[in-house]
Amino acid sequence: MLYRVAGQYKTSYKADFALFPVRQDAWLLAFILVLAFVVFPMTASEFVFRTLLIPVLIYSLAALGLNILTGYAGQLSLGTGAFMGVGAYACYKLMTIFPGLNLLAAVLMSGFVSAAIGVAFGLPSLRIKGFYLAIATLAAQFFLVWLFQKWGWLYNYSASGAIQVPNISILGFTFAGPTAPAINQYFFVLCTVTLITFVAINLTRGRIGRQWKAVRDMDIAAELVGINLMKAKLLAFFVSSYIIGVAGALFVFLWRGAAEANLFDIPLSFRVLFIAIIGGLGSILGNYLGAILIVALPVIISGVPAALGLPLTPATVDHLNIMIIGALIILFLILEPHGLARLWAVAREKLIIWPFPH
Amino acid sequence: MEFLHSILIKPFADMATAPDFLLQVLWEGTVSGTLYALIALGFVLIFKSSRIFNFAQGIMVVFAALTLVGLHENGVPALLAVPITLAVMYVLAMSIERVVLRPLVNQPDIILFMATIGITLFLIGFGEIIFGGENKRMITEELMIPTGSFEFEPFGGFLLIEQKDVTAVVGAVILVLALLMFLNKSKMGRAIRALGDDHQAALSVGISLSTIWVLVWFIAGVVALVTGIAWGARAGVSFALEVIAYKALPVLMLGGLESVSGAIIGGLLIGILEKLFEIYWGQPLLGGNTETWFAYVFALFVLLFRPQGLFGEKIIERV
Amino acid sequence: MKKLIANVLLSATILAGLSLSAVAQDTLKLPNMSYRTGPFAATGTPHQNGQLDYMTMLNERDGGINGVKIAFDECETGYNTEKGVECYERLKSEGALVTQPWSTGITLQVLPRTNVDKIPMFGPSYGFSAMQDGKTFKWAFNAPTSYWDGASMIMTALGDGDVANLNGKKIAFLHLDHPYGKEPIPLFEKLAAEHGFTFLPIPVGLTEMQNQSAQWLQIRRERPDYVIMWGWGAMNAGAVTEAVKTRYPMDQFVSVWWGAHNPDLKLVGADGKGYRALSWNFTDSEAPVMQDIKKHVVDAGKSQIDQAGGEFDSMAYQRGVLMSVILAEAVRVAQDHAGTPNINQEQLRWGLENLNMDDARLAELGVEGMMGPLKTTCANHTGNAGAWMVQWDGEKFEKVSELLSADRALIDPLVEEEAAKYAAANAPWPTNEECSM
Repeated sequence: MLYRVAGQYKTSYKADFALFPVRQDAWLLAFILVLAFVVFPMTASEFVFRTLLIPVLIYSLAALGLNILTGYAGQLSLGTGAFMGVGAYACYKLMTIFPGLNLLAAVLMSGFVSAAIGVAFGLPSLRIKGFYLAIATLAAQFFLVWLFQKWGWLYNYSASGAIQVPNISILGFTFAGPTAPAINQYFFVLCTVTLITFVAINLTRGRIGRQWKAVRDMDIAAELVGINLMKAKLLAFFVSSYIIGVAGALFVFLWRGAAEANLFDIPLSFRVLFIAIIGGLGSILGNYLGAILIVALPVIISGVPAALGLPLTPATVDHLNIMIIGALIILFLILEPHGLARLWAVAREKLIIWPFPH
Repeated sequence: MEFLHSILIKPFADMATAPDFLLQVLWEGTVSGTLYALIALGFVLIFKSSRIFNFAQGIMVVFAALTLVGLHENGVPALLAVPITLAVMYVLAMSIERVVLRPLVNQPDIILFMATIGITLFLIGFGEIIFGGENKRMITEELMIPTGSFEFEPFGGFLLIEQKDVTAVVGAVILVLALLMFLNKSKMGRAIRALGDDHQAALSVGISLSTIWVLVWFIAGVVALVTGIAWGARAGVSFALEVIAYKALPVLMLGGLESVSGAIIGGLLIGILEKLFEIYWGQPLLGGNTETWFAYVFALFVLLFRPQGLFGEKIIERV
Repeated sequence: MKKLIANVLLSATILAGLSLSAVAQDTLKLPNMSYRTGPFAATGTPHQNGQLDYMTMLNERDGGINGVKIAFDECETGYNTEKGVECYERLKSEGALVTQPWSTGITLQVLPRTNVDKIPMFGPSYGFSAMQDGKTFKWAFNAPTSYWDGASMIMTALGDGDVANLNGKKIAFLHLDHPYGKEPIPLFEKLAAEHGFTFLPIPVGLTEMQNQSAQWLQIRRERPDYVIMWGWGAMNAGAVTEAVKTRYPMDQFVSVWWGAHNPDLKLVGADGKGYRALSWNFTDSEAPVMQDIKKHVVDAGKSQIDQAGGEFDSMAYQRGVLMSVILAEAVRVAQDHAGTPNINQEQLRWGLENLNMDDARLAELGVEGMMGPLKTTCANHTGNAGAWMVQWDGEKFEKVSELLSADRALIDPLVEEEAAKYAAANAPWPTNEECSM
């Protein structure tokens, strides 16, 4: 009913391949954007900003980066956390070397550092495939985190080895550092994420995106039809690491405020991987759905027993929480291995032909 | 020049001047290598028969060891606790097969891999509720594992070898030999290998997928228990042990995901090399703690020349 | 998707509403960021049990502090800084009077916010040593003592009263490769330069905590005269077993207070004889406060401790109790000063910087002999209670020294320097001009 497509005629191939073949999709997106840009900022409390909205957006962005590599180009990576770290440390160094630099410029530039390192670690992908490649990306993961710890220059030789985000303002609005209001940080993150998502959607729908998909589905076949494997794979590593690096810079500068090397250790990589897979590999929307499930759900679950007045100790709640997340991952994989994005796609199909079953 | 000297000459000079210390380093490397090999073995068994990259092997080690210790704490005699733990591992294998694997048959590898991470999280939460988070002592004496040590004086120096480490190495060797016998000689073992080669062909000659999967996960559980006892005897048992799963991954890269002997040789190689590198290069030159990545970088380097590991099956791709 | 978002938002607001409505005006919200899970639970749990049980005891025995019940809620972090942020925001929105971050990593994240959110942060004997400088860190407290104090006391004790005696010695520093473990390094380096001993830092990675053979091989090769340990969680047990294994002389092996932890030493039993640790607390299960806890909490079945395992008599549990004793005392001071039992964050901050727990007061509190006297001021947020060397006799720890005190002339300039550095890096950073050093 809501998704009736009657009367929406397509008279050209161009129309058929448009971003929104169904008009309601555009309306829905507009609605979500209004929600994100207008409704949430007016209603959310600081707690909601700092524990739900901002982290969901940043994790979605990181998952988007990973999804381009794993979901579109088919190269499984377990090193996401370390590349987020590269972005964060690069941004930190940029801000210390050029203190007057615009924060947005610094964040966007730090992605390039991460992209360069991503390409370097992506080189083995030309020879190594599948799980072997996944373990190879772990080499990046462990080596880089070790480097964050040992290379004093990266954290300005501070005694604790941690980096601290100073107060940074643009045009009188503070966006990073302890005095930054959550709503400013939210808008900064939201705009960056929207911008990158827009670019990513267009990238994956175009020639490059199709090359990636061909490589993912069968790289030898792709090579036979004339796709330059090296170029396609390395480009995927470049774009993916860029986005992940930006997400990492946002992660530390716009959300955490401080970081030590262990923050970027392997649990972070797995978290982002969960989001990408639960959300749906090879989908942009999936990253957002996955991040909502993986990031926001635990925050909400952990409040439930207290709200219901159950006499559970916080430790037990946390243990149960871990169990529930584990069980949910398995459950979702069994119910829909292609992720939440596929669930939505199925629901949308049903809505379009509703009320007729076929 | 100074720099080259410190990289190329000094480490070897150090080795030559203190040969007893070098022997100690090699022995320590062998012991860690054996333990890495055991964990890798658990991975290989499961991967071979079901193409599942079982990330939960690390937590299975912790779970098995904690069950053993927990039973003993509640008054079960040590020698009785072992069979009960094995029974628990069997139940675990059965539940995993029934609840997780059976609905996911024929899914892409990465989905099954994710599912094992789900299992890992579930077991962490479940285990901590039951056993608590504190570090527990492994019941070494109660299991009649000798705890003394041998001391030698080679080259006028001093070499110390702990009996429980010797026991661990000997136990690992026996376990591996038994497994190889089982896989190569027994009917079940052949069925496991057949399943690894070709699911459909194996099914069509009447091999039951679910029976074999339960069996394989159970064997991985037995390997996990042995690993847990050996490692727990060194530093106690707690959930911090779970990270040892990461130590086994480069072993797998090096040895190949399907090769039992690859896991053993890869484990020993990595155990010894990372120790040598850490002691003679890492600590003096790089600020130490290189063991976290050395194995990975080394394995990555080897993979560039042999993309399926030293002993992995050659990948033949058809378009 | 919109439904999902709406649901999330809805449930979040409901939760926020529920938790807000749960804020009763007449409780003292003193939440704790605990970790009873994860690789560090081994040291976290007994401390946090001690903290919790003392507060429960006050509620049971006295009906709270000056008639106001204490809400000592725990928020589980698992030593994970990300959960730490979530806990901080959650507790802040619930009107917490104090932040007890329980991890150097979380401390570093919360520290810059303290000036903005105006919630005092209390990290008893952990966190950032420069927090001693109350002028710079108006809202942060680390009474009774800091890591730098600890490092100084250990070195003085090793040098038999004078660090200069360590000239020419070699001292290895086995530490967790984490902000916490690196914290005392500047102090050691300064001492090494001044007194001419060799300082050798040996890091232990988070994944290597239970497999320290490489570190101990290094110790065997370098043959240091002393090994000082700055470990946490599973690392301590691993180090102690390795030390026994490599036959390192136990009486040359010294740890910071967290290493005065009975279960770690029980792993090796008599082999660990001679192992020392610097501890600002000492066990006394017969002390009035412990007896009250036993009567009102433990015997009443309201405690989570492992009684069979002897947790009640352990260093860590009783250390936790003392941490709460200090916090409760600060609440009392604040209440007296504010003239109302229902204090706010600002008033509690005043209480924390006007602690005066001298011997007489410690006796009144029933903790005589369990910790040294301390006094905080506007400028000094540590209070610098001394510490004792304790030694493992094969079954339990024994006090083997007088109450030691740190070398103020050494630490205070370093504190000032680090605090200034921190303020400069985080400019504009407000300083508390009310107090002059």
